[in-house]
Amino acid sequence: MENFLEQIAELLEVDVVNEADELKSFEAWDSLTILSIIAMANENYGVVLNAAEINGANTIAGLWSLIESKKA
Amino acid sequence: MEKYVLVTGASSGIGKSVAISLSENYPVILHGRNLDRLNEVKNICSLHNKCLVWQEDLVQVEKLEEHLQHFLLENEVIIEGYVHCAGLMKMLPLRSQSLINIQETFNTNVVSAMLITKVLSSKKWNKGGLRSIVYISSNISNRGAKAFNVYASSKGALDAFMRSMAVELAPNVRVNSILPGAVFTDMTMDIFANKEVEERMKATYPLGFGHPQDIADGVNFLLSEKARWITGQQLVIDGGRTVDITG
Repeated sequence: MENFLEQIAELLEVDVVNEADELKSFEAWDSLTILSIIAMANENYGVVLNAAEINGANTIAGLWSLIESKKA
Repeated sequence: MEKYVLVTGASSGIGKSVAISLSENYPVILHGRNLDRLNEVKNICSLHNKCLVWQEDLVQVEKLEEHLQHFLLENEVIIEGYVHCAGLMKMLPLRSQSLINIQETFNTNVVSAMLITKVLSSKKWNKGGLRSIVYISSNISNRGAKAFNVYASSKGALDAFMRSMAVELAPNVRVNSILPGAVFTDMTMDIFANKEVEERMKATYPLGFGHPQDIADGVNFLLSEKARWITGQQLVIDGGRTVDITG
């Protein structure tokens, strides 16, 4: 999870993120960031996400759970 | 020696449709990375003409010239038409692009087209047999859009190369490109999977979305004698997408 937090922080253009942070609260949250998350999840975790699923994840922790659930 | 048309990226999408369509009129060489998928396309191609398969990964360009030279010699063929359909597209904002993505996209979309053109326009390797080239570009080539940074610039490079080759290889070889808009293929499936994006795009295509066969029809025309006085041109086939400035 530590790696994941670092990767997400980089995509959101902030130094650190917390599990409880809401995705929509970040200034960099937009359709381009969602594209970056789709690519990152595919390359690093081998899972395929779509935009609706990512928006539905709500928080950083929710996004991690989504990726974990797809890996299973 | 029999004359063929080479179609790169023939195992899926636009390349597959182009190859199947051309096989009605020409012996074809199907190029792709995956042999099983290429053989599946070969089975769909017309039985009226011969069909060969060339397996090569265009991301790896170091030995591409050598491999193509070997293929021409081994199969004793001359290539009179070349259609470059192979393409790689990763939609990402620039901040998420990597050097590897950039290199793989340019190798597949531009560098391989340059090296294949070099071999096919060589008297030594192709006996001066080349007559027509069609590069599959994209309607993003002359435009701009978010997340298309690397892909768009690769297609712009391909079109710039096309114009120079049209001059350099005249009068023996005609060189043109086709700029498709969004057509339903495996490569664009992810875009169409997003309902919101699909609806937005639908509203901006006066003739609706296209299909790979629409592009294949353009390729057939540009390869044929009916296009004998056309070279160095971008043929936009995009259902009117790029001329629509309706507010």
